[in-house]
Amino acid sequence: MTSRVFGFVRRWFALGVVLAVFGWAVITILAMRSDEAPSDTILLRVGHWQLEAGVRDGINALAADYQEVWHKQWEGGGKNADGQVWRELYPDKPKVKVVQDAIPETVYGQWVTTQLIGGTAPDMMEIGGVGGIPRTMEIQYWNRYFYSARPYINRPNPHNAGTELADVPFRLTFKDTMRGGYIEELQEYVAFPVSQFAVRIFYNRDLLKKLTGLDKAPTEYRAFLAACEKIQGRKNPQGKPYTPIAASAYHFQMWEGNMFNMVTYPALRKIDFNRDGFAGNDEVYTAFKIGRVSFDYPPYRAKFKMIREVSQYFQNGYTGLNRDDAVFLFAQQRAVFITTGTWDARGLQQQALGKFTVGVMDFPLPLPTDPEYGPYIEGPNYERPGSGAPFGITRFCMYPDVAADFMLFLCSQRGNEKLNQYFGWIPAIIHTREDPLLKGFEPHLVGVYEAINVNLGGETLIKWQQVLSKFQVDPNYTIDDLQRDFEPFYKDKGLKDFLEQQKDWRRGIQITEQGLAGMRARALVAGGDQAQADWIRYRATLMNRQVLMEIWHNMQMVMVEKGPILGDIGPYEYSPEVLDKIRERLRQGKDGH
Amino acid sequence: MAAVCLALAAGCGPQAAGDPAEAIKAGWNSYRMGEFNQAVKAFESAQAATKPGDPLYAQALYALATTWNLRRPGEDEALARRLYEKVLQEAPKSDEAAWSLLALARMQQLVQADQEPDYPAVRQAYQEVIDRFPEHLAAHEAFVHQQATWLTTLRPEDAQSVVDAIDKFVAAHPKSPFLNAVYSVQSCAYGILKQGEKHLQAELRALEHRELDPTNPNMDNAAVYWGIASIAEFECGDFATARKFYRRLIGEYPAEQRVYGARVALKRMDDLEAKTRKEVGLPAATPAAAPATGGGQ
Repeated sequence: MTSRVFGFVRRWFALGVVLAVFGWAVITILAMRSDEAPSDTILLRVGHWQLEAGVRDGINALAADYQEVWHKQWEGGGKNADGQVWRELYPDKPKVKVVQDAIPETVYGQWVTTQLIGGTAPDMMEIGGVGGIPRTMEIQYWNRYFYSARPYINRPNPHNAGTELADVPFRLTFKDTMRGGYIEELQEYVAFPVSQFAVRIFYNRDLLKKLTGLDKAPTEYRAFLAACEKIQGRKNPQGKPYTPIAASAYHFQMWEGNMFNMVTYPALRKIDFNRDGFAGNDEVYTAFKIGRVSFDYPPYRAKFKMIREVSQYFQNGYTGLNRDDAVFLFAQQRAVFITTGTWDARGLQQQALGKFTVGVMDFPLPLPTDPEYGPYIEGPNYERPGSGAPFGITRFCMYPDVAADFMLFLCSQRGNEKLNQYFGWIPAIIHTREDPLLKGFEPHLVGVYEAINVNLGGETLIKWQQVLSKFQVDPNYTIDDLQRDFEPFYKDKGLKDFLEQQKDWRRGIQITEQGLAGMRARALVAGGDQAQADWIRYRATLMNRQVLMEIWHNMQMVMVEKGPILGDIGPYEYSPEVLDKIRERLRQGKDGH
Repeated sequence: MAAVCLALAAGCGPQAAGDPAEAIKAGWNSYRMGEFNQAVKAFESAQAATKPGDPLYAQALYALATTWNLRRPGEDEALARRLYEKVLQEAPKSDEAAWSLLALARMQQLVQADQEPDYPAVRQAYQEVIDRFPEHLAAHEAFVHQQATWLTTLRPEDAQSVVDAIDKFVAAHPKSPFLNAVYSVQSCAYGILKQGEKHLQAELRALEHRELDPTNPNMDNAAVYWGIASIAEFECGDFATARKFYRRLIGEYPAEQRVYGARVALKRMDDLEAKTRKEVGLPAATPAAAPATGGGQ
């Protein structure tokens, strides 16, 4: 008997252990789930990558507020956006709980992909230009895995009741009319953006005063350089020199986009061959190819001179460092300046707390009288106001109307203001107050922009990255060296890379055709005003993304291969015939004022 | 196990849906979400639940053809073509027949990324839509595509033929919902012909018929105003029109990227006019006649 029992145990022991562990795991998970979301509670999970200081606290605080709001509206007969009574919809759910999944940025793309494809995504997710998800893939994700936000955009936000926005359609309560939640390719609103962002220079006020005697950072370019020079000449108590500007490869892009590119704007008037107001990569390439510009062109030369002048005050080897390395240097009071966006403002403030005061300044501008840059500086860098941190509601959400109500709460006047006070970011909603630290972040709505986009992809892009890196790290590598190494290569190989890029254009046309068929089907079955609105969207998309694109594409190809249609006349110059017309009109008194 | 297999088997292949109209609607929803397998199933079930002659039958066939045509990945162009042709056979007078014929023409134009379309054949295919369904929206759209193909050559003689064809089209269809599109195409044609005044007039007519989707935050008239102003300034020397549209850009879209450029343009025209007045011996513009341009450099 004993041996039979022993034999049975020996035979089934392994399976028994597996089953026991499995049973234990099931019970534990059920117990945890039950603890996390009791049967009378709607559980909403929200996934995001914002690990900056204040963000998780902000979401937790607003989640706690919403729990009360939900309970009140559930008890008080509150209704959802469709006019249905919440309590009737969810008679056994008087409570709501919001739980965060805060995932590091470095793995966020993979996490999003696996959660969405695996069907285990949280109820709400932040997506948008992060984690290495290609744009085309991101659009597919929005389309396939997220609910549309369109049902809410033209109705007032119920959480704005009692405020000046009580009767304003939801999308018009956003500073950017909700552009940050709209996907042009889908012609659809898919997300609820909660904040706005801008980039400026932060500085250690106390250290600046100590090292330079200045109370405020100079916003004039030469004075800024002089302050950096002074800082570089000082040593800390350990005998090591101070770094004027904490930087990294990540930060260099901000300097380039917000400051160095400003001086290239005058090139626009020489190379904007289609006169659309922008210098596309095709136009820059054509201009180089026909000799209209080169790296000898003074505004381009000025950009590289400015890179050299400013980056000499970055710490050594900055191109090999990452974002955190630079922040660390600043937080340790070994550097005076750092450029970054509003997303880091709260974190920097917290790191400085009790140690030093953080100041914010705009990017320094040369004076119009500056002998080197004055002729090319026409204004500050243009900043397009737009909302970010877009959260969408996934199709895996069991309570999408409740999740949408929570998002409406976060995007209400009061909710958004409070949320962004925690975040230290700029609210996305109008008529909201922002943190005093952010006073210097109002966007420059009138300004200049870059006119030196040499990115044609492929080999030329790799070559450009190589020469630019060398220029950044090697003080003996001059702009003449860069020109010698890059310009012939660019002119020679650029056409091939451009043609390769154009294949993507044809693929894009196919994708738009797919979308148009879906839009047309919707217009065909809709009735009344909806049908009219759908047809307008259909025709507008057809015109802008298919018909005209085909024509423009051909014009672009001719320009790149044979030169601009305007010949030797610059796009913003008057031909002799037009000058005659102008004279004639003036004689006739048609001056047009 | 057998029951499970039966249940799974029952879920495969076309089924007769309860309501084919609902199945078609659901199919299009799936299509828009990129769930093409589900869309195919829904359309097939709608097709199985209807018979030739029923309008829903043509709708289901057309939807199925469109899905096989445009789904990525997994497209089957040969099957799509057969299905479109079936729509033309089974319901030759239906809306779906017109859209199917247009789709067949579009298939000829939308070739692979490394190929060039056979434009004469493409134009002929669009002409077939125009001839068979002259008053249908699909024919108006076909006309726009057809004329645009002529402009791809950038030859003046082709551009002139587009101008003439559009004049005829507008005379025959003065209320076509595609007027913005046809005038925009005509504007491009005049651009190729380097006829500045007519280029400007076509742009102004296109603007007159421009439809804006009020719910699209990216869609506005800023680029159109900029385009009209720069044609007026540099092709016509018509500073009155140029000023009007640069100012509309600044006034209506103060946060637009080209506002600075518009201010510079206003100053540029003021400066040129002042210089030209001197040259031709005209008195300087009076302050009342030369209001502030809203900035400059």
